[in-house]
Amino acid sequence: MDLLVDSLISAILLLKSLDAEVCAIVLVSLKVSSSSTLIASLIGIPAGFAIAFKEFRGKRMTITILNTLLALPTVVIGLFVYAFVSRRGIFGPLDLLYTQKAIIIGQVILIIPIVTTFTIAAISRIDERYRKSAMTLGATTLQTAGVVFREARFSIMAAVIASFGRVIAEVGISMMLGGNAKGFTRTMTTAMALEYDKGEFVLAVALGLILLTISFAVNLFFNYLQGRARA
Amino acid sequence: MLFEINNLSKVYAGRKVLDIPELRLEKGKVYGLLGPNGSGKTTLLEILSFLLPPTTGEIVYGSRKVDFSEGFLQGLRREVVMVEQQPILFTTSVYKNVEFGLRIRRVPKERRKRIIYEVLDLVGMREFAEASAHKLSGGETQRVAIARALACSPKVILLDEPTSNVDIENQIAIEGILRDINIQKGIFVIFATHNTIQATKLSDHIVFLFNGRPASSVYENIFSGLISTDDNGKKYCSIHDKLKIAVRTNKTGYVKISVNPIMIKVLPARDARAGDHRLLGRVMQLIDEGDHVRALIDVGIPFSALLSQGEYKHAPVMAGESVALFCPPESIEVV
Repeated sequence: MDLLVDSLISAILLLKSLDAEVCAIVLVSLKVSSSSTLIASLIGIPAGFAIAFKEFRGKRMTITILNTLLALPTVVIGLFVYAFVSRRGIFGPLDLLYTQKAIIIGQVILIIPIVTTFTIAAISRIDERYRKSAMTLGATTLQTAGVVFREARFSIMAAVIASFGRVIAEVGISMMLGGNAKGFTRTMTTAMALEYDKGEFVLAVALGLILLTISFAVNLFFNYLQGRARA
Repeated sequence: MLFEINNLSKVYAGRKVLDIPELRLEKGKVYGLLGPNGSGKTTLLEILSFLLPPTTGEIVYGSRKVDFSEGFLQGLRREVVMVEQQPILFTTSVYKNVEFGLRIRRVPKERRKRIIYEVLDLVGMREFAEASAHKLSGGETQRVAIARALACSPKVILLDEPTSNVDIENQIAIEGILRDINIQKGIFVIFATHNTIQATKLSDHIVFLFNGRPASSVYENIFSGLISTDDNGKKYCSIHDKLKIAVRTNKTGYVKISVNPIMIKVLPARDARAGDHRLLGRVMQLIDEGDHVRALIDVGIPFSALLSQGEYKHAPVMAGESVALFCPPESIEVV
């Protein structure tokens, strides 16, 4: 119990003091997670939309594969991307290893299946009558897709929020591809892992509490956006 | 001629749900598409509104043969709009719902506004313009859906059972709107209904559909029942425990029967003699349909009988009166 109380006090003090190192860690975490969420959304939402909207051979198999990829461990993605971006890999000359870009690549791979499958589920749940209504009112295929997208927007936003939550909390990819370099690739989760290794439990838990606070703030923001959109 | 249909069919999962050898629909009229549930009304409306391709057959719209490819259909859909049985409104305001068709047609903002209020006035929903569309009642939703369709200035409007899910107040309002849009705006109206009275009241022509095929008007009073044979070898169709109708058929098991309302004779119960083809009931409603008087009679199930004016004057029956119905064998068809 003391550990938690001490950690909470440390977290409050850390936030209050605006410690430069902590601020840098938080900023790196936010930057990397936001970038990977944005990129994955730009790929996953249209992909999910296309899969849900179109009938094609192998559709069910594609969805099954995507569902399977939801269980992909971060360590596997870390190893996979490492094989490409390490010095001996085909992207070795790009010097991506131990950079924020490498973390972003790994995290994008991690959450594309989340965004895509959630989008497929969101679009599939939309009442068929929306599509028919738009079509009979003279909408083109693209305009009809726009109507369906609009009706599914809250569920799609939930997919984006869930993906952001997944990447800001992951540690395997950030550690393996980022290398936990202070000021460059040290994220909240890798910093926590480091503090734990050093036996600094109080600081590790304090960072965990900061991470939860940030996640809460981000969710609160998205909730506010949803509330405004529904009104 | 606005629509010419030749050898049209639609097959779902190996079952032919629509089979129309020939159908012609003239411009400017109001058509009622009448048939029981599952008769193919919705499928036909979806094909006529170019939302669904037929499995086989040909449709000529105006003078153009319809090519059911997406690029060709978009142009046609701008002239033909369908309002579904339970229409869904977009999750936004009533105003923006009605605006949708105008926006995609790139109508200028000021003109859009004028048209929106004009059509909302027509359906009596002007004061709901800023209301959230999803908070409307069933009848209000139906009226906004009609306004949304009318805003597109269609040549043809197709409505699938427009009053089946609304209260009487909205039913009267919607029936008025259908008449107005045909007379005032010259829009060609086709509406599906299973309500014979509504079809007779609102339409210039009625197209009867039964089991996916055009039928003659005799397909009314359709009931399902089990064929049984008594000790004398006479066959009956048991609609329920207390209602058996004598039939002539070779079929066995569960069947559907149709009793031609024109061939039913209605007499005050006291004047009627007993017989196989006699059913006893009570008059629930009498409706003047011009040449005929329609009597709705409760014999355990509602029966509709059409009496010629002469017949009615000769033996008038009154609402609430106990009567006997005679359904001669030739009035009953096992379908």
